[in-house]
Amino acid sequence: MTDGIWVIAGIVSLLILVSGAVLSYKDSRFGLISAIIAVIVAFIASSITGSFGYVVFVLAISLLNIFSLEAMQNDIKGIDYGLVGLIALATMFILNTDDLAYVLTALVIVSVPTYILVMLREGAVDVEIGVKYIVFMVFATVLFLIGAIIIASGAEGIMLTLGYVMLVVGLSLEVGVAPLHEWVPDVFAAADPIPVSVIASIAKIVPFVAAFRILASTPDVEIAAISLTAVIAAFSMFVGNIGALTAREHARVLAYSTVANMGYMLTCLVAVSVSVSHVSVSHAHKEVQMAALLGGVLLLFANAAGKIGFFNAIKGEGACSPLLYTLSFSFIGVPPLLGFWGKFFILISLVSAALAAQFHWLYWLAGILVLNSAVSIPYYIRLARELGSCWKANITNYIVAAATVITLITVFLYIPVAWFPADIGSIEIPISLPAAGG
Amino acid sequence: MNEWIFPVLFLVPVLSSIPIALAYRREDIVRKLPPVSVAGIFISLVCSLYILFHEEFMDKSFSYEWIPQLGIDMVLRIDYLSASMGVITALIAFIIAVYGLDYMKDDYRLPWYWFFFNLFTASMLLVVYSDNLFLLFVGWEGLGIASWGLIGHWYRDDDDITFVGVPERRLGPLKLWWPPSLGGWRAISTIRFGDVPMFLAIAAIWMLSEGHNLNISEIDWESLFLKAGTAGTIIIFTMFLLGLFTKSAQLPFSEWLMTAMTGPTTVSALLHSATMVAAGAFVFIKVSWYIKPWHLHDVPGLEFVYMFVLFVGLISALYGALVATGMLERKVLLAASTMSSLGLMFGTAAASYWIHPDGINLALLVAFWYMAVHAFAKATLFLVSGHLIHATHGRFSEGDSEFAMKMKPAFAATVIATTFLVGIPPLTAYWVKSAMDHVFEHLIEHGMLLPFLLLISASLCYSAILARFLSLNFFRGGRPHHEHVEGCPLMKLGYLMMVSVVFILLYVIFTHEETHEFVAAGLALSSMAVGIAVTIAYIGAVFKPRIETLSKIGTFFNDRMLLPALNDVISPAIGFSVAKAVNIGNRGIDAFCNTKVMPALFDMMSRAIRAIQTGYLKDYTKIVLGIVMFFLIMGALWGVMP
Repeated sequence: MTDGIWVIAGIVSLLILVSGAVLSYKDSRFGLISAIIAVIVAFIASSITGSFGYVVFVLAISLLNIFSLEAMQNDIKGIDYGLVGLIALATMFILNTDDLAYVLTALVIVSVPTYILVMLREGAVDVEIGVKYIVFMVFATVLFLIGAIIIASGAEGIMLTLGYVMLVVGLSLEVGVAPLHEWVPDVFAAADPIPVSVIASIAKIVPFVAAFRILASTPDVEIAAISLTAVIAAFSMFVGNIGALTAREHARVLAYSTVANMGYMLTCLVAVSVSVSHVSVSHAHKEVQMAALLGGVLLLFANAAGKIGFFNAIKGEGACSPLLYTLSFSFIGVPPLLGFWGKFFILISLVSAALAAQFHWLYWLAGILVLNSAVSIPYYIRLARELGSCWKANITNYIVAAATVITLITVFLYIPVAWFPADIGSIEIPISLPAAGG
Repeated sequence: MNEWIFPVLFLVPVLSSIPIALAYRREDIVRKLPPVSVAGIFISLVCSLYILFHEEFMDKSFSYEWIPQLGIDMVLRIDYLSASMGVITALIAFIIAVYGLDYMKDDYRLPWYWFFFNLFTASMLLVVYSDNLFLLFVGWEGLGIASWGLIGHWYRDDDDITFVGVPERRLGPLKLWWPPSLGGWRAISTIRFGDVPMFLAIAAIWMLSEGHNLNISEIDWESLFLKAGTAGTIIIFTMFLLGLFTKSAQLPFSEWLMTAMTGPTTVSALLHSATMVAAGAFVFIKVSWYIKPWHLHDVPGLEFVYMFVLFVGLISALYGALVATGMLERKVLLAASTMSSLGLMFGTAAASYWIHPDGINLALLVAFWYMAVHAFAKATLFLVSGHLIHATHGRFSEGDSEFAMKMKPAFAATVIATTFLVGIPPLTAYWVKSAMDHVFEHLIEHGMLLPFLLLISASLCYSAILARFLSLNFFRGGRPHHEHVEGCPLMKLGYLMMVSVVFILLYVIFTHEETHEFVAAGLALSSMAVGIAVTIAYIGAVFKPRIETLSKIGTFFNDRMLLPALNDVISPAIGFSVAKAVNIGNRGIDAFCNTKVMPALFDMMSRAIRAIQTGYLKDYTKIVLGIVMFFLIMGALWGVMP
């Protein structure tokens, strides 16, 4: 029943996007309107199928991305809205399937539009950036897909470990985890801030959710391989945060901040793999997964809101100071902002995994995460100070204000804990890996 | 049972002082309101008398829920000590309040004065009746704040008559004169120094007592001490005693009491002679009453503690009496004698450890009775002193027999108060002091002669200094430079009422069963010999209050043997050196974490991280391919490992 709803909604949304894109040759506003309608249709369909908490955030973030494109002129004006709409559709859809093929398709659908978006700039196309970005994205996607398929083929022993490593390395390359982050500072600094705000926000969600869903269904991963992921995560946190401390360009600071945030995210996958492969008590297993997922998703949303806000502030050459400080505090993890809850649940997942599996190095990982949050304080405050200005009634300020509201939502409502557990179930459903069952 | 009496007892004095406190902007109203505050204290007095004379209250605890999470309740206990001390406190407070109506009538800060005066009375009553140490501590802190407020009452420091010490007198870095504001600061800083460890001791008692009990009368002290061990017992008791010693101005914490004389005389009489300073000794007596140390000779460490208190008390007693022999300031002389009396109370109460009673421990009873007699007699002397300062407009002793004839009530009150207090037979304190001699004679049997010798020396000295006070103010102090002897009826009424109580106490000693040992001790030959020696010292000092050949020693004593240096030079020097050391440490930490080492390190690492960003795709491809290959090889190696 629910699958049926999604098939219809998906087709309708795609049709709307395509027709909007075609009509936008006439007038770019068709592109904007069709993207908004398509995203809302997908949102309604997803809400019915029962993951409201997740999709409402995705809706908010994708609408911000779409509206922020208003702040730039480019050669494909009108179609750019459709590209973001497509990413949004895939991000919502990924929860509505338990088929690996669809999950991987969603990943590709999210990845490809960013190849085009990254090249856009005012009145021109930047091919050099495009090449730099696409080379790594293609490599990343290939590694990820091969890794996922090896795992799904029911591999054991050396092949399973190789599949796991490929998946993690592919993901790291895709989202920009150190030491595979080299493209991130260059692309973030050279490309136009608006497309970067899309790449840095909504485009980060699907790779992680896909990896999460695959790894949550993959038992028997060697602890050595999992600890390699932990080392990469810790390394990425340090590289990102320390690299950002002395970076002067704001876009580069945000690039290193992304590297750090993706390090935090990788720790969720560590917790999940530990629980699936090394925790036998089912309720402890469940607890770790839930916390990891909750923390990971909330951190992705906090990261998305913050990146959209800051890149728009760069685009608009400054934004209202108090708003930027709020976004900075969310990034740092000051309660009760959204960013705090993300880190909080990730820490819970690490500590419960450490308790359940008796792996003491997980406490160290949690400690490194906290330490890194402290290291990040100076550069986030510096960003807010340098980009902060008076309120001006322009599109970028409105976008920053809306992004701030997202990080503040946990102040007004008891959202993270109350909304998600019920919804998260749909992310948790194991993906049917055809051969793994046998 | 009329338990409503407790809230009335504690709250009415505070509530009755609120109108005058609130009316502080309206001078005309303020002048009319002091009697309301006095009436509040009178109600407390009636309540305390009601409690004393109603048998149904006696030896009972009254408990009200307070902090159930910690098992702490508001517990009041009426026993021999608290019932009597409650009346002593309320009665003295009331008489002094009446005196204060006259004495303070032209003061510039009446709301402040009456609010703190009444807050003090309520706090003191809380200390007296509390069984729970935490509740007691609340009252205890009330005493501290009221003391600070009242000593520094004349905060403008604009009248030399309110100072202590000889103006402009210096010895090296040490200034030997103190204004009221400094007196207030010295009091609160010394008392706080003791209160913090005392609070920690109470916390430790809560931790160690059976079922986290803080009620003095219910704690199983023996098991608590055994649980704490020798070192634990000594540490806990010493921390607790720091609170008591600082409040009761025992060595080396006596300085604040001397400069507390910068406050109004009513304050000196109530807080700094009769009640607040006695609270330290009172709490020690009360705690010992229930610890029953004479039964706990098996508890290691306890003997050390009681020995410690015994000697601190007796040495303080001798020190106070000695320094007073060189003093000429009326109130400061009395303050030093008060310190001496408090030392005797501590010393005598500590002697209870070696006394094995059938009923009430004689040592504790004597200490308590001495506190009672001292309270009324010394308060009288302070009130007289206030009137003398008022009449002569000077704080240094002066006056001759002609002046004495003009100030008959003051003169009479002084003669009675001094003779009844020093231990001249057969007046009130003689019987109490005889019992005290008896207690210390008992210590000789335990091989301790020194305490007895200290007691006798302090007593003789003490007798001489009070005689000296009488002589220098009414016989041999010369013509006063200024005389204003008329008026002040309420002041005269105040000290005459106060001194009359010593006759009542004499009557009680002879008519009550628990004090019959006092009478027996007074009739002993040895006591009579001490009594005669005390009398001779008294008469001698009346006729020869100053000895010129000893004036250098007198000056040294008047400078309190340079003990002020501890408060004014040594402690600040220690404080500043600690502050300097902390500052150096802070700057080191700052340089390491914030300005030099760590920032440079992070800077270096950050530049290294950013150095790989060459901008060339070929460089990045090599790095990424290399790393991916490395990871895959690592994965493969782990995969083949067993």
